Amino acid sequence: MANPKLDLLQGTLDVMVLQTLHAIGPLHGYGIARRIEQISGNQVLLNQGTIYASLVRLQQRGWIAAEWGASDNNRKAKFYSITRNGRKQLAADAAHWQRLADVMGRMLAMSPGGETR
Amino acid sequence: MRTLVARITAFFRKRDLDRDLDQELAVHLELATEDNIRRGLSPEEARRDALIRFGGVEAAREHHRDARGLPWLDSILHDIRYALRTLRRDAAFTTVALLILALGIGANTAVFSLGNVFLFRPLPVKDADRLTVVAVQSKADADPDQVSYPDYLDYRAHSSGVFAGMTGYCINIVGLGYRGHADRLIMSYVPSNFFSMLGIRPALGRLISPGEGDAPGTAPVVVLGHSYWVKRFGGDPDVIGHTVSLNGAAVTIIGVVPKEFLGAFNLVEMDAYAPIGMQGFPSPTSLFTSREDHEMRVLATLRPGVSISQAQAALNVIGQRLAHDYPHADQGQRIRVFSERAARPDPSAADSKPLVATVFLLMVGLVLVVACLNVANLLLARAAAREKEISIRAAIGAGRGRLLRQLLTESMLLALAGGVGGAILGNSVGYLLNGLRPLGDLPLRLAFVFDWRVFTYVAGVALLAGILAGLAPALRISRTDLNLALREGGRGLIGESGRHWLRNGLVVVQVAGSLILLVAAGLFTRSLTRAESIDLGFDPHNILNVSLEPGLQGYTQPRAEALCRELLRRTQTLPGVRSASLAFSIPLGYYNDGAPVYAETHALSPSQHVPGATLNAVSPDYFTTMRIRILEGRAFTGADIAVSEPVAIVSQTMAGRLWPHRDPVGQRFSYKAASGPFVTVVGVAHDVKINSLLEAPGMYFYVPENQDYHSTHVLQVRTSVPPESLAPAVEGLARQLDPNLPVYEVMSMEKSLEGANGFFLFKFGASFAGALGALGLLLAVVGVYGVVSYSAGRRRHEIGIRIALGAQRVTIFRLVIRQAVLLLGLGIALGVAAALGVSRLLVSLLVGVSAYDPLTFAGVSGILMAAALVACFIPAHRAARVDPMTALRDE
Repeated sequence: MANPKLDLLQGTLDVMVLQTLHAIGPLHGYGIARRIEQISGNQVLLNQGTIYASLVRLQQRGWIAAEWGASDNNRKAKFYSITRNGRKQLAADAAHWQRLADVMGRMLAMSPGGETR
Repeated sequence: MRTLVARITAFFRKRDLDRDLDQELAVHLELATEDNIRRGLSPEEARRDALIRFGGVEAAREHHRDARGLPWLDSILHDIRYALRTLRRDAAFTTVALLILALGIGANTAVFSLGNVFLFRPLPVKDADRLTVVAVQSKADADPDQVSYPDYLDYRAHSSGVFAGMTGYCINIVGLGYRGHADRLIMSYVPSNFFSMLGIRPALGRLISPGEGDAPGTAPVVVLGHSYWVKRFGGDPDVIGHTVSLNGAAVTIIGVVPKEFLGAFNLVEMDAYAPIGMQGFPSPTSLFTSREDHEMRVLATLRPGVSISQAQAALNVIGQRLAHDYPHADQGQRIRVFSERAARPDPSAADSKPLVATVFLLMVGLVLVVACLNVANLLLARAAAREKEISIRAAIGAGRGRLLRQLLTESMLLALAGGVGGAILGNSVGYLLNGLRPLGDLPLRLAFVFDWRVFTYVAGVALLAGILAGLAPALRISRTDLNLALREGGRGLIGESGRHWLRNGLVVVQVAGSLILLVAAGLFTRSLTRAESIDLGFDPHNILNVSLEPGLQGYTQPRAEALCRELLRRTQTLPGVRSASLAFSIPLGYYNDGAPVYAETHALSPSQHVPGATLNAVSPDYFTTMRIRILEGRAFTGADIAVSEPVAIVSQTMAGRLWPHRDPVGQRFSYKAASGPFVTVVGVAHDVKINSLLEAPGMYFYVPENQDYHSTHVLQVRTSVPPESLAPAVEGLARQLDPNLPVYEVMSMEKSLEGANGFFLFKFGASFAGALGALGLLLAVVGVYGVVSYSAGRRRHEIGIRIALGAQRVTIFRLVIRQAVLLLGLGIALGVAAALGVSRLLVSLLVGVSAYDPLTFAGVSGILMAAALVACFIPAHRAARVDPMTALRDE
């Protein structure tokens, strides 16, 4: 592989999970993992198993809820959905990441002369 | 918060959650596999790819568990399970360590429980934290004592600025008759505000109401103590309203106090309570009129925000006024206010108690330290054997912190189990103490409770012990260089010399600590021996005492006198009896009678304090029976009867003080009033100890028992046979005369001298210190033995070589013993130095022996050395018998 995959930054996985559930609605663990891989264009190195630690953490904080249901091909699976508190948290996290991305963008846009391109 | 709750819940629902997760993960893999098949992979390929993308099922489970539960608790539980397994495997070590810790912690629990009773635990009454005791010192150097009733009334009337309330009680022994049978009761006579001020509510019926029975003889009622009610009336609620006879007078039972209220006195549970106005009833009593009669134990509740010193200042002002108004009684008297806790069990102990408590706590603290050092040393020895295991654990990735925690978990477990053992042990000591009888027949009720204070203390001590015993070995072992340890196969170790230094150091400190304990034990024991050789002024051997109180059965004075005289006459004829006599009280008993003394010849100025004296009423043969020498004049005779001239015999000290440079015989004095009636001195008796072994000779006089009637009698019998063997015969005589007449405190004089005013405190101190000393000795011996035999074992190889090279067995024996002597010598030297530093604390608690007594120091050093060396003969002998072939082949 010429271009190695990105290591996930601490805390980013939780935001990705929340955003996925916010955008798509209730999903099971595998669905969430697949979506993250697809959206990132297979750029992130995701051990799909780590998603379950993230899910239980978010659940304990009350940001997502879980319910057993049936999957497309009628298998019993646990479906997760975002809660009201989760949406609030997501909004705060999104703003945070947006600011961070802006700052990083501006820093990296700096030319050797010290001027912003 | 919410997360924490969720995590704790998750911790306890581990199995459910794990099953959920497994199912979830299985679905995940199936879905992933199906997707892959749809993408055209073969089923095996599809499954493999799914697993790779998943990235380790076990790791995911682990992460999930860490994220949802309490990982630290999990690992602690794991440590505990592991520690339990290890400890069980090494049963001998565990047993010894547990025993040592239990003994150490047990001693601490016992002393703290005692401290809890006497220092900390509040009385179960209202505003216990603001409750104080008011006492008076009749002279500057006297112990704080009870208060006279008139003084109490004055204090109470004029101190409402600082006290929200003041009450008191006076303890008497009375007879309570019910259906033809009389019990001897310990009774509190109380002012009518007693129960309301203390906030006590009746368990049954009612208590004494405000204003009820404060005037003499006005309210013939009685309230029962809970235990007595259960014991005598079987807890029958119908006793309320019944009439019983109290010292022959009819009174009505009106109520029962709650179970937890034992009275305000800390040593004995009260059997009953009656209004103060009933005190002495129906006989006349001087309680209400005399300021010399100090019978009230006064309790007062401070107003909120008022300090003890403010209350003290207010009482000082009242005291000055009373000294001015009543110089005969109150001059020179000093009023003291103590917190109720400080004045337990009696205000007289208040000033010496902090010192005694300090000494006791220091001593048991030392026992604990020695015990911990011992266990630390055992753990170190065991750590050596476990070096390899630890190294392997470290090699496969256990962090240093993790190892440390594992090892500390082991020592904590030991300490906690030791704590449980110690708590049980300590509590049983409490029950033993309740069996002591410093007050004659009266049952001691020390109210030992395993309350939160004791629990906290024991838990704290156990934790401390666990850390103390475990830290040094744990730190040392977790620093082990694993390469070295693995290579050397668990024998040669880094720190071999370092470890020895540590182990030897620990033993030296242990020996030193034990020596201090032994010195204290030795000093207290010598002190007891000295106390026992104090000249009492009478001969306590071969005397039997029998108490009787015909008044309890309603005997009037003439009938009682006739009965006693007849009992005395019959006793004198018993075989084995040399002489017999009657007295009101015995020296160094727990009660006696006192009176002011007015010498006829010197008129007191109105502002002078009247001297007081202790008195006893005795029958003619008293001086013969007690072997108290008559120095001048004569003893009483059968001719001194109620209608003859009133006479008295005075102690030599009283004679010297009242009539210096004059012949006391023929002088007259009064113990009622300055104006008489007077009694004539007919003899002077040798001084005897009256109230305490250590007192200076005091004013003491005797009157014939038939010239001053007291209902209480002690029949004293001097015997030519062991005194207690005559007890059944004397009791039989009493029963012949009146089958219902109770006799009590039937014991030899030597036995009664073991009471609170006799040798009790000395014996108690000596046995307490002796027990701790013995414990210290045992621990020191075990410690030295452990280290010596351990290091002899480690040197087997070397010893084998030495023997193979021709070393004499005796040399080897000496080699081992030399190490023991060195350790002991160092420890004893250190201990002697430390003991010299601290024994100053004991000075005021010792009698007739210096705190630096060389004999004691040398003696206990010798005992410690000898005992430990004898124990070390075992490893020395074993080492000397090492077979060089086996020792070398073992390597």
